[in-house]
Amino acid sequence: MTTSGPGIFFDGVTSARHDVTVELSTDTLLVRSVDGRTLADWPYDKIEELSAPQGLLRIGRRGGITLARLEVIEPNLAAAIDDRSVPIDRSGTAARRDRRKVVFWTIAATVSLVLMAIFGVPELATRLAPYVPLGAERRLGAAVDAQIRSLLDDKKAGARFECGNADAEKSARIAFEKLAGELVIAADLPIPIRITVLRKSEANAITLPGGIVYVFQGLIDKSETPDELAGVIAHEFGHVAHRDGTRHVLAHAGTALLFGMLLGDFVGGGAVLIAARTVLQSSYSRDVEATADSYAVNLMEKAEGNGRALGTILDRIAGGSHPIPKVLLDHPETKDRIAAINGMARPAPAKPMLNNTQWAQLKRICSG
Amino acid sequence: MTTFDAPAPAAPLPLRRAQPFFIQIPSAIWFLGRDRDYWRLMIRGVALLAVTLGIYRFWLTTDQRRFLWSNTEILGQTLEYTGTAREILIGFLVAIAILVPIYGLIFLATLDLGLIGSLAGIIGFVLLSLLGQFAVYRARRYRLTRTIYRGMRFHQTGSATAFALYALLWWVLVVLTLGLVYPWAQAGIERFKMRNTYLGNLQGRFEGSGGRLFREGFVLWLVTVGPIVLGLVIFATQLDFKLLEDIAANITNEDELKRIFTDNAGILVLLAFGASLLTWPLMTGFLLYPVFQAITMRWWASGLRFGDVAAKSSLRVGQVYGAYLGFLGWTSLVSIMGSFVAAIVAVLVLGVGTATKFFEDAGNLETVGVAGAIGGVMLYVILALVYSATYHVKLKLAVWRMVAQSIDLTNAGTLDTVSSVGAPASPVGEGLADALSVGGY
Repeated sequence: MTTSGPGIFFDGVTSARHDVTVELSTDTLLVRSVDGRTLADWPYDKIEELSAPQGLLRIGRRGGITLARLEVIEPNLAAAIDDRSVPIDRSGTAARRDRRKVVFWTIAATVSLVLMAIFGVPELATRLAPYVPLGAERRLGAAVDAQIRSLLDDKKAGARFECGNADAEKSARIAFEKLAGELVIAADLPIPIRITVLRKSEANAITLPGGIVYVFQGLIDKSETPDELAGVIAHEFGHVAHRDGTRHVLAHAGTALLFGMLLGDFVGGGAVLIAARTVLQSSYSRDVEATADSYAVNLMEKAEGNGRALGTILDRIAGGSHPIPKVLLDHPETKDRIAAINGMARPAPAKPMLNNTQWAQLKRICSG
Repeated sequence: MTTFDAPAPAAPLPLRRAQPFFIQIPSAIWFLGRDRDYWRLMIRGVALLAVTLGIYRFWLTTDQRRFLWSNTEILGQTLEYTGTAREILIGFLVAIAILVPIYGLIFLATLDLGLIGSLAGIIGFVLLSLLGQFAVYRARRYRLTRTIYRGMRFHQTGSATAFALYALLWWVLVVLTLGLVYPWAQAGIERFKMRNTYLGNLQGRFEGSGGRLFREGFVLWLVTVGPIVLGLVIFATQLDFKLLEDIAANITNEDELKRIFTDNAGILVLLAFGASLLTWPLMTGFLLYPVFQAITMRWWASGLRFGDVAAKSSLRVGQVYGAYLGFLGWTSLVSIMGSFVAAIVAVLVLGVGTATKFFEDAGNLETVGVAGAIGGVMLYVILALVYSATYHVKLKLAVWRMVAQSIDLTNAGTLDTVSSVGAPASPVGEGLADALSVGGY
């Protein structure tokens, strides 16, 4: 039995429109012109359904040399073609199955990329950091330094931003260099250290790649003994020794690449990425800080200082309760850190690292 | 023998739905798709974008193009988009492989403290701009070769490198002349694209003239950019630069600043004038953008030629404003609904929390804080995605539809006599365009 009906045919050789009769024989679909010529003879298993507006069935020959197209509007004829040809599936079941597969695999890819960002990237950065040549690290440090300096120097103090250069500060500087020098010798780092005091009121110290350490005036004001100040500096040396600055830059570049390029910046995605990164960053830096703490305790004891002093000053600076939820904090819970430090450190030695006169001098390093 | 004896579909186009107009004006190009179907496609698409952090975009883009192409009917025959998401995904991965070393080199160069370091930013910018234009051209080639009309494939010839250099040169001139040469830049770039565009063996061409666009848009330029030019002239002639240096030097010294300003009251007026000049183009730009879009779209569509087939668009400014108003209306609706839901949730949480004394424990409070932050981010993402879907349906689709339906064709008979040439092109350009965020439809 043969079924037939009207269609529009384009032979793929020219753009001329042919009004044709479509004949559905047992094995093949025949396209006949008005004068009875056979324009196409397509086996049912060789035809494919093509993208078309609703209410139109557009088919072509799969793997055909030309782009011959047959368009059928008549619903019963379209249904009859659908019945006979396996590849044509107007109910969309196969398309939905394919789409579900795509959705499953894209979600799987997303999960794997996110896991990569959480565990893979920091691990990779840690493994790669030792292979970054020290020369490159110092260049990186110099580039970062210029930016950080202008960022920190919000009052535009310029040259006066560094403490210890004025005449009145010279003796303080000598005391400071003695204290730092003892730690430098004990640490024996592979990279020269440049340590500077900045006129900045926060009680903090930071380390940049390439052995650049900044101690803020506020930290010196808050320190009650030389060993406390030395403890914080030793902690910063820990970051230098572990090359945390370089690791940070590598990890940052890695996540930026993963999130920024592979995952698109779809609308609203920016917020998700910032949120995700904040949480990631803090969990990552908690480990880093804990490692630097244990390095500081060891270094302090090598330099014959008090390993517990770091805990004492931490308690003074950040001992108060935090209104910020734990997951968002940059540094580990202060109490945990202090407990860990006290657990590692031996009891304090009899002598502080500087005598009282030297310590009184050092405290005046930003007085000029 | 069963025969379905429907009348052979002839000129009055059977797929066109009844339009809500009293008189239906026959038009060469018609858009058949309904908003409802595009909404469904976009809402599902943006939800999947969110879940897959954007990886789904290759499939969404392909779905969008299939919808737009297959519903655009030209002289009774619809376009067909044959591109696949898999192709553009692979093209994107290849593009990443090309771009990562380039980004790496630029990063390394910025580390150099010497001349290379200070130039790296500029060189990188120029390089990426060139690559961006290159990608625009190659992506266009990909889209054209995946577009089929009456069994004929479109294709694009011409060197993408030449195009990138040509287009970048124009853009530099546009910036240098504060947009005055924009019409000639557009005309030149479109001429380049269209003379390399073919439907089968039928060569395209662009006949829009820069001078004409300039005449139509000059008033717009005067209104938005003109005041800036005027302001710059006034500044250059009236401003006492010595005084400005004084102010900059004493920016932290309040007393000194006070003294300078009381002695020179004129400078305050001048500075206030300068600040208002900066907000002016933002304001007028926002209000007049639909006019600009209507003028450029109408000019562009009216310049398109294929052989002796000529297009002429009758797009009206009011239509484009209508689309923007519709979009604004929908976004307001979405915003109101969003704030309503957020307010209800907040009131519920606060009410229940207070009633059960849940907040009195500091630990609980912390949990609520984190949950609130996560909830806030989620609400933001959902709203942003709904906005994006609204933008695509109520604005981009609306503009596509009105531009398409505004076009009339002369000598359309030529479209019956095209013969086939052209093979599909590689999707790498499309991937580059995606990685550099210069894609479009």
